[in-house]
Amino acid sequence: MPSLPMPPWNMQPELTLLARMRQGDEEAFVELYRRHKDAIFRFAMLRTGSAARAADVTQETFLHLMTRPGQYDPGRGSLAAWLCGVARNLARRECAGREDATDPGDLADDATLAQDLVEANGPVERLLADETAEQVRAAIASIAPHYRDVLILCELSELSYAEAAQVCGIDIGTVRSRLSRARAQLADRFSRMGLMHGPGRVKEAS
Amino acid sequence: MNPDIDRLHPAVREARLAERLETLRSALAAVATPASLEPALVDRFRAHRRRERSLARPRLWWLPPLAMVVTVAFVSWMVRVPPALPVPEADPGSAAAPAPAGAQDAGPFLALKPLERIALEPRATVVATEFPRALLAQWGLPVSPERAGEPVRAEFLYSAQGEPLALRILN
Repeated sequence: MPSLPMPPWNMQPELTLLARMRQGDEEAFVELYRRHKDAIFRFAMLRTGSAARAADVTQETFLHLMTRPGQYDPGRGSLAAWLCGVARNLARRECAGREDATDPGDLADDATLAQDLVEANGPVERLLADETAEQVRAAIASIAPHYRDVLILCELSELSYAEAAQVCGIDIGTVRSRLSRARAQLADRFSRMGLMHGPGRVKEAS
Repeated sequence: MNPDIDRLHPAVREARLAERLETLRSALAAVATPASLEPALVDRFRAHRRRERSLARPRLWWLPPLAMVVTVAFVSWMVRVPPALPVPEADPGSAAAPAPAGAQDAGPFLALKPLERIALEPRATVVATEFPRALLAQWGLPVSPERAGEPVRAEFLYSAQGEPLALRILN
């Protein structure tokens, strides 16, 4: 279920923390880090497919916040969305070589199994203890990056469409269409991996 | 397109998709950022602050040298042009001699004590005197060897306790 656009909330506490951090307040930086670290790490893990690379991306993201806080414009969105955008750019740089081959057009009609794609990209790294969750993650990892980003941001990082649009630098209409295609691709991957069969009897279309 | 997917009712397909995504969400909720990141970032933050402070410091590099130059210039000026000495009160009972003729044209007094000390003296007295020119060397003044034996007419500024405060050469 796609999340609805998030309601506006009071950004003042975070902006105060940001201002204090810019004046050299270490506690303010730590507070900001603790607020956003897990969301950034999970996003980076889903985006890079590696816990080690996700840790690097998370560290670089907060170093970016530390050294270039002036780049964040509160008028354009939340700090969480801006950090996600920074993490996305860093993750793209990390995965630049691997993602060159995954063009959305090529993958739209690609019948290759998700597992094949993951294995083609290198040794599989198990990130989650739960078997099904790990399969779902692997399926998401096999989606074209353009669609995968929107899917991760809207479905798993709980960002609004507007914030996902800000992160990806696209308009909301494009977010909606990419999310729709991402879900279709994901359903296809799930089906091929046998994940579309529920515990009970699957109701089939007549 | 995958025929298995096509056979599923769209609502079922959406429900399965949501279910699987929820499974992933739950598993992700248990994933935490490595604890080693925070102390590393705090160290970087401290180093960054130190670097910022050191970068900010050279902006005022010119201030200490400028202060030193101003101080030296001011002290030099104070030594070369001493402030006006206090005018001694006319005391009929004192042994102060009247200012000799031509005293109006005499040069300024040369301070023998700190100016603050002279300024605080409540009852300074000017006394005209004569002494061998060679004594001038004691105060660091230039003395020509040929004229070392000649007498010098001068005025001394004495404190109430008889301590010489300043000297003025009259010839």
